[in-house]
Amino acid sequence: MRISGLRVLAAVGLMALALAACGNNPTTQQKLSGGTATWAEAPNAKPNYIFPLASGGFFSVANLSQFQFLMYRPLYWFGENGTVKLNSNLSLAKDPVYTDGGKTVTITLKGWKWSDGQPITSRDVEFWMNLLKANVGHWAAYVAKEFPDNVIGMKFPDSMTSVFTLDKAYGSLFFNYNELSQISPLPQHVWDKTSASGAVGDFDRDPTQAAAVYKYLDGESKSVGTYDSNPLWQIADGPWKLKSMTTDGHVAMVPNTGYSGPVKPTIAEFDEQPYTTDTAEFNVIHTAGIDYGYIPTQDLDQRGSLTKYTFAPWIGWQITYMQINFGNAVNGSLYKQLYMRQAMQHLVDQDGYIKNIFKGFAYPDYGPVPIKPASNFASPFEKSNPYPFDVNAATKLLKDNGWTVNAGGVSTCSNPGSGAGKCGDGVNSGAKASFKLEYASGTLAVKQEMEALKSDFSKAGLEINLTEAPFDTVITDAFGGSNVADMDNWGGGWIFAPDYYPTGDEIFSTGAGSNGGAYSNSTNDTNTDATTTSNDVKALYTYQDFLAKDLPVIWIPVADSVLALVKKTLHGWDPQDPILQLYPENWYFTAS
Amino acid sequence: MSVRAPVSGLDTLHPHAPVQVEGGEARIGGSAWKLAAYVFLENRLAVAGLVVVVVMFLFCFAGPLVWRVDLVHTDIANLTQPPGSGHPLGTDIVGKDVLGQLMVGGQTSLEIGITAAILATTFGVLWGAIAGFAGGWLDGLMMRIVDSLLAIPTLFLLLVLAAMFVTSVPMLIVIVALVAWLVPARLIRGETLSLRTREYVDAVRVMGGSGARIVLRHIIPNTIGTIMVNATFQVADAILLVAALSYLGLGVPPPATNWGDMLSDGVAYTYAGYWWLIYPAGIAIVVTVVAFNLIGDAMRDAFEVRLQKR
Repeated sequence: MRISGLRVLAAVGLMALALAACGNNPTTQQKLSGGTATWAEAPNAKPNYIFPLASGGFFSVANLSQFQFLMYRPLYWFGENGTVKLNSNLSLAKDPVYTDGGKTVTITLKGWKWSDGQPITSRDVEFWMNLLKANVGHWAAYVAKEFPDNVIGMKFPDSMTSVFTLDKAYGSLFFNYNELSQISPLPQHVWDKTSASGAVGDFDRDPTQAAAVYKYLDGESKSVGTYDSNPLWQIADGPWKLKSMTTDGHVAMVPNTGYSGPVKPTIAEFDEQPYTTDTAEFNVIHTAGIDYGYIPTQDLDQRGSLTKYTFAPWIGWQITYMQINFGNAVNGSLYKQLYMRQAMQHLVDQDGYIKNIFKGFAYPDYGPVPIKPASNFASPFEKSNPYPFDVNAATKLLKDNGWTVNAGGVSTCSNPGSGAGKCGDGVNSGAKASFKLEYASGTLAVKQEMEALKSDFSKAGLEINLTEAPFDTVITDAFGGSNVADMDNWGGGWIFAPDYYPTGDEIFSTGAGSNGGAYSNSTNDTNTDATTTSNDVKALYTYQDFLAKDLPVIWIPVADSVLALVKKTLHGWDPQDPILQLYPENWYFTAS
Repeated sequence: MSVRAPVSGLDTLHPHAPVQVEGGEARIGGSAWKLAAYVFLENRLAVAGLVVVVVMFLFCFAGPLVWRVDLVHTDIANLTQPPGSGHPLGTDIVGKDVLGQLMVGGQTSLEIGITAAILATTFGVLWGAIAGFAGGWLDGLMMRIVDSLLAIPTLFLLLVLAAMFVTSVPMLIVIVALVAWLVPARLIRGETLSLRTREYVDAVRVMGGSGARIVLRHIIPNTIGTIMVNATFQVADAILLVAALSYLGLGVPPPATNWGDMLSDGVAYTYAGYWWLIYPAGIAIVVTVVAFNLIGDAMRDAFEVRLQKR
């Protein structure tokens, strides 16, 4: 058979394409063992707390999902193939079993081990529970009457089994995803002591002593510079162990050779690198100095020239908002007026910010349940944008409620008192609509967004005084319980982890540990309670529809969590976890 | 044809001191101030610096009266637009006109620079004069305080101070002045050590003049040359310090701005090639600082007796 010249060319071309395709396929490339993978921390968001029982100022993605979880695995692991679901394979225990009509839950450990060879036992679960119960006031995820208050009895019949008796029957979705998900077994045989020189005992079983143990561990955890030399933190049950860490956020981890899980690290070291700005990080990207980094929004046009990297936007399971402090000594009374919150929400030009500032790599947020990744959790009402950008509507709301609107200046309350047409309870005559907004520094897009927001607010005479501060400072201020904090935007909103079912009980329920703005509404509390006992999504709809209208915070667009750039020689990172957890134990390098 | 300054050995502190004329040279009559002005104006670079400063002042303070643009509201639909119609220098990171921003940013930079220089110089001069005149343990104590503060890196001290307080124009003035007063304090103290032994100081003492009178009426006026020169350099240094602080994100909150803030924002777009966000503010800082330095150099020549004859 004669083959035409054209056919020869075509055949050669097809072979070349096939070879090229093989060359880009990591499964056919030489998988290298070892190597150091570097990962860029978010700007000004370095980890600074290692003890897996964090208070509000330390309850961050940087500390939990991207630092502690690498070394200290939660009892139940959530996140599988890029979805938010219980991952039985990576969990320390078998799936929980509910009996007694849902009022008793039995947890059976798999028998994995700590890095010193000791087994992870129910005593370690009990240790965490005892510390928590004695120190709930320090726990960021605490919600009164919920975990651990709702665990009214605990039994540990053997070294592998824990049995919790609950105060009522809960929806398994809620209890698995938001309550059991919080438990992190701790190495009782090493950590159960009240001082560095003290002996290990059963101190946690006495609430007073448990408080002392917590105080000791909390204090050690705040001493970032001593992490790598402190024997406490050398015991881990995750796939990684801490090798070194500096106070400026440089973290080096090495594989925990005693890790019992199914996926063992193959790279030799995993390093986290801190940056004060996204620009500084991008400078290093240009030298190909980071394996897993990100591109700043303002430099998105450059991504085509970065031939050594793959661009991979990473969408988180999160909502984004500016927290308003209902307890602020000056402006708290203003925030308590629904019309004021509605006016503020009307002044947020979400579509404009998404299109012009985030260049399309963001999506709107109108309520407390994430719209992306797609799920059936977000209600049609929440997605409908109840308060669209409308300066006239905002101005009318203020005028209709006793305010003299001074566009471009500062509006003042001219008709104080309660009732129709008045400013409302607690708002005095002459009160000024002037607010202080503290936002996280380091990300230019956030700065642009806040300046645009200030400008838009001024059109209705709402004055915003902007201040920048590092991420750690902003969240400390936002969750510090102070009556000085006013408006806060730490730039990342709230990611639903380790409260994966987005009931918002930790952030909007009355008295919740991460309800930094002190929002309180009995209807919301009732709605939230309903989401805890029912697996029916309608309960979640009722809850979110109310908050989409009542505005416990001011919703702002959710930017893609990370506009990731990953070196083409690094593999195993895809799919990216919407909970923003890292899996460097899956990573490996190839030669090209 | 220019006429050279014909005098030497003139005591700038005594305007009516006899002027010695060197052979063959024309005498320029008048006071020491006139002589200083003459020496100053003889320096072409200094004159150029003076012109630049005057132009910069006009640009920053009179410019907005002519170039009227909205610098309060953002225009995110038009952010980072290149120079073109309506925006000769383009738009910035939130869509504001860069030319207008350059004017109001310059106001802030110049206000902070000049006010901080005046504050720092005033305080530093008083501190140094008192220390130098008092002598003894008080001098030792006051100057060890100065030495201690000088031992702390300026930028570090500025960052700590700026992080402790909410930055605003008045606060930046105070912060910059707090680190800038140390140099004039040392300079004036050194001069005071020399001046306090002069006969006219003794004469005041004999006539019953108080220490305060000696310091305020006789010693400080006799250090006016050093003060003027240092104050000029202080302005340039203050502008640079504020630019550095702003570059590090500790500038004034929006909508206020200064050249350092503009530069800081613009640098983020280096890879995008948005030169109009970097060059205008950068050039304004460099040109203004160089101009003040040229003026300072010339003033040193003008007030320094030994340099007046050239």
